[in-house]
Amino acid sequence: MNLEPYVEFARKAFAREATYRMEVLTEIGSLVLRVYILRSLWTALYAQNVAPIDLPLHGMITYATVAMLMSLVLEVDGTRMIRERIREGSIATDLMKPISLPLYFFSDGIGQTLLHAVLVIPSLLCALLLVHVDVPPPATFAAFALAFLIGYCVNFFLNFLMNCIAFWTLETFAIQLIVRWTSDLLSGQIIPLTFFPGVLGRIVFALPFAAIYSTPLLIYVGIIPPSQWVASFAVQLMWLALFAGLSAIAWRSAQRKVVIQGG
Amino acid sequence: MPIIETRQLRKVFRSVKRVPGALGALRTLFSASYEERVAVAGVTMALEAGELVGYIGPNGAGKSTTIKMLTGILVPTSGDVRVAGIVPWERRKENARNIGVVFGQRSQLYWDLPLIESFELLRAIYNVPRDVYRRNLAEFVELLEMDDFLRTPVRQLSLGQRMRGDFAAALLHGPQIVYLDEPTIGLDVVAKEAIRQFIARINDERGTTIILTTHDLADVERLCRRIVLIDEGVIIYDGDIDRIKSEYGRYRTLVVHLAEPVADPVLDGAELAGTEGNAARFRFDRNRQRADALVRQASERYRVEDVSIEEPDLESIIRRIYVEGYARDKETAQ
Repeated sequence: MNLEPYVEFARKAFAREATYRMEVLTEIGSLVLRVYILRSLWTALYAQNVAPIDLPLHGMITYATVAMLMSLVLEVDGTRMIRERIREGSIATDLMKPISLPLYFFSDGIGQTLLHAVLVIPSLLCALLLVHVDVPPPATFAAFALAFLIGYCVNFFLNFLMNCIAFWTLETFAIQLIVRWTSDLLSGQIIPLTFFPGVLGRIVFALPFAAIYSTPLLIYVGIIPPSQWVASFAVQLMWLALFAGLSAIAWRSAQRKVVIQGG
Repeated sequence: MPIIETRQLRKVFRSVKRVPGALGALRTLFSASYEERVAVAGVTMALEAGELVGYIGPNGAGKSTTIKMLTGILVPTSGDVRVAGIVPWERRKENARNIGVVFGQRSQLYWDLPLIESFELLRAIYNVPRDVYRRNLAEFVELLEMDDFLRTPVRQLSLGQRMRGDFAAALLHGPQIVYLDEPTIGLDVVAKEAIRQFIARINDERGTTIILTTHDLADVERLCRRIVLIDEGVIIYDGDIDRIKSEYGRYRTLVVHLAEPVADPVLDGAELAGTEGNAARFRFDRNRQRADALVRQASERYRVEDVSIEEPDLESIIRRIYVEGYARDKETAQ
């Protein structure tokens, strides 16, 4: 198969995202602001002794800052193009090209993600002016990177599924908002999942959202010890396989709908 | 052998029948009843390579549905379709390499990027060899005078510039077949003429087979020798423009402006085609009836203020065919 068009799609997506310079700068600015707010908030909360002992204050601030940097990449809705092209009706012209559409959307998403990944560096430098971030040993960092990569894929397919809903409803705003809020709260992006008490804690760990933020972050701060790394990856991979499978099914029936019923 | 061939091509859309009101919406959620709409009802046609055919019909006649089946993005309900020897919906991607498509109302260029980058992306998509790409691009840039805006982001282009870009984009890979859907819509007269010249040239020099869908019959008169007329999913005429003109064009219209309203004005040898205010329109066969005799007759019977004679143009001919074709269907239905 000729991969050239897909490399080009990714490059064009990267260039397209970079044309909105103001947006990029605002994104970094707002991230630094949020890091500052979270540092103040957690410092105040820790002063009241509300937090469990297994995560000291500097660990918590590291957790919150790394989570913020991760969100730069994870909040890119790489496949939002699906629902945009459906709403505009331009999915019909896409189908008139000799390309595989899922690969087209994936490569566009990767291009967008890469641009935002580049932003992590200036954001990190700005954040370091405000907070101290713990640096884990290299092995832990490598495990974190791997878990992050798998989590990225889980998130990608979750978004893909959401966007595929547009094939039936045209509009996905409400459902995406609900999933986004749920995910923000239950993925460990804002509050570490170890803070959830008892049964609630067991439930949130059993949900797929934990695979996105919580697993890599808990590896980073050392709450998941090296002995449990493999088990954690396995759980993440299970969610990945499930969402990728569901995406394939959704895509197949979506395509049938377009082709049988018209755009 | 024809390059495009359809036999008894049919497309029926099935959609959930909506019942009005909130309760109705709830009911359709549980027990949906479907309604069927026949968009294309058995279209049979054949195009030879190098033909430039006008495919025309009123809104909702089934034109776009036919084109979508030819491009392979819609599966026919029944019937056969072959484009350059390929069944389009079975091998969508392969078919896509043989065709180019231009939509007047929808651009396939990349909105945020300079025009030239859309072209480069298309080169990669169709895997066009670099020397062929450079040659085609140079030719189109010259013919369509695109030099000035090649590096401008598409969203800043005027409609005329954007259309020229879209034409180049559809033809960069040198397709054998091109579908044009309302390519001159919204353009001023100069831009329209430029696009028409370009279409004629591509058809002439490259031998590209072109199907032109449009409501602007001036496009068709200027470019096509053959037209296919479709109405309510059925082809009602397929043949030379010249023939349709001589067959339907023997009828002229005498417009008589009367000083006062007359309920049902009558002229011997002509047929009342309609009245608008005090003006009555009479249709007559130029081979059987002389206009001056009709005018004399009219002034003897009624108080006439003014008369004029309308010669048939393609537009009025087509309008009549739509109306009469519709009337004929109604009769057979009753």
